[in-house]
Amino acid sequence: MFRGQRSVTWIATAVAFASLVTAALAELQEPVTGAGGCSQAAMLRLIMYCIGAVGVIFLGLGYGRVTGAITSMANRLRSEQPVPWDAGTPRVLRALTDAVASRLGARDDSVRQLQAQLKDFQIQSQLSDREKRHAEAILYSLRDAVIVVDGSDRLLMANAPAARLFGFDAEQCRHRPLAEVIGGTHGPFTELVCQSRRHRTEATRRELQFPVGDRPHTFDTIISCVQDDARVCGVVAVLHDVTREKEVSQMKNDFVSHVSHELKTPLASITAYSEMLVDGEADDEETRREFYTIIQSQAQRLNRLIEDILNVSRIESGLIKVSKEHASLTILIEEQMQMIRSYAEEKEIAVIGQKPIVFDQVRVDKDMISQVIVNLLSNAIKYTPSGGRVTVGTEVDETAGLVRVTVGDTGVGIPQDEVEHVFDKFYRVGANNKQAKGTGLGLNLVKQIVEKVHGGRVFVTSQVGVGSTFGFELPLAAAGQVATA
Amino acid sequence: MTASKVLVADDEIHIIHVVAIKLRNNGYEVIAANNGAEAYELACREKPDIVVTDYQMPLMTGLELIEKLRHDEQTKNIPVILLTARSFAVSQEQQESLGVASCLSKPFSPKELLKTIQDILYQRELALKS
Repeated sequence: MFRGQRSVTWIATAVAFASLVTAALAELQEPVTGAGGCSQAAMLRLIMYCIGAVGVIFLGLGYGRVTGAITSMANRLRSEQPVPWDAGTPRVLRALTDAVASRLGARDDSVRQLQAQLKDFQIQSQLSDREKRHAEAILYSLRDAVIVVDGSDRLLMANAPAARLFGFDAEQCRHRPLAEVIGGTHGPFTELVCQSRRHRTEATRRELQFPVGDRPHTFDTIISCVQDDARVCGVVAVLHDVTREKEVSQMKNDFVSHVSHELKTPLASITAYSEMLVDGEADDEETRREFYTIIQSQAQRLNRLIEDILNVSRIESGLIKVSKEHASLTILIEEQMQMIRSYAEEKEIAVIGQKPIVFDQVRVDKDMISQVIVNLLSNAIKYTPSGGRVTVGTEVDETAGLVRVTVGDTGVGIPQDEVEHVFDKFYRVGANNKQAKGTGLGLNLVKQIVEKVHGGRVFVTSQVGVGSTFGFELPLAAAGQVATA
Repeated sequence: MTASKVLVADDEIHIIHVVAIKLRNNGYEVIAANNGAEAYELACREKPDIVVTDYQMPLMTGLELIEKLRHDEQTKNIPVILLTARSFAVSQEQQESLGVASCLSKPFSPKELLKTIQDILYQRELALKS
């Protein structure tokens, strides 16, 4: 390449020289043909042309050397490997070229480093985008209400439960002050968020109450400040609804209280009568026999109570032994009515049954269903004032294939807002607490036995001051099954 | 010397029975009620020397009975012993503010109840003499 360029330079120089000489000769010929001789001026022009031609020649030679050197420099700068210098390249240009090449090489390294860094940044950006999406997906999938505000208490993010709880549109309210978005009865919450930010509290935990629907709910609220260089750049609030947990906890406390009372009452009798016997306070055989009988009946009462507690627990855990057989509900009801009649008579309450039904066969665990009937009967008597009436009814619905038993009373009744809870475990109707003692287990046991063990259904209707009707339905045993049983 | 009159209020018939036997065997006169409302009526009518009442009773609880007794000029000074199966149901402050002379936990010993009644009536007698 270098050699080729040099040849071209020489050829161009030669052509220029030839042209100059030709032009000079042409100039000389003109005065000869015209004036018959060579003038001094013409000679001078010829000399000048020759000098010009020589100059051009030298210029050509010089240009060749310059272009050679430049080409050599360019090749050296362009190539990553050292390229041999053209012999005609001056030393100064060689040094200059090496310096430039060195700087360019350093610049190339910087560019490569920057490119690598840019790539890293792009990857990190993608990763952080993905992490952000994951974090948001987690927050949005939480059942707890989550609200994030910035360092000026403006709403940054809220998940659906939070929007539902406080009644706002999360997208529309973004970047609006929290106090504007959440106000009214939720004031304590916004105040807690502002306080946490102002005091830079790392984490605050508080129980707050807000109305949800028509009743107050309790929220375990955790407020965490997000700090950046000792400056609060945001606050995250998580609200976990603990209303149900608190209710269950309260019910458990009430249960422990009721159960301990119920257990201690027969125990008190047993202890007192035993002590009287030991101390010889029962003078005659008849009194002693009376004391023994009381101790025995109280021990049985204690045992029934413990059995009730255990049965609820066993049914719930599926560990109870069930032995089903065909039975007539009317007969089972009659047996239990006989057992409870003395208790009813003590309270001067009439227990009215009905005529036997022709076919009311069910496939049940007789002991369990007897317990259901006795629980309903004793409850009805317990909450009916003296002189009242308890009516037991049985009907067969052949179309639906079930037997329906009802126990109605003329008792105190249950307030409407409490009716739906009466079958809940440990639940006791507040207004009737003074009426009679109880653990809140009896009706729950009824529900568990009827629904969980026998696939039936319990129900209740009630009117305060008028009375209540509790009942249950059980599937009828198929006629063929009964015949072969 | 006339026997001291003790009003026993409890909805458990067996508890009333055993307490009555123990107290009668030891020279006391016993009157009984099986709920708070009935006990209040008896207290107003019979003016007992001391009342032994259960904490949880139908119609009127033991605490409500004591409050009513304290608000009535005729019964406000009658000493009351509270029987309770709920150990933490009545705080010390409540007992003091209502003037509960003693609080016994169920199950209780009839001997211990008798001794408590004797102590309270003796202290009361001393206070009246002085």
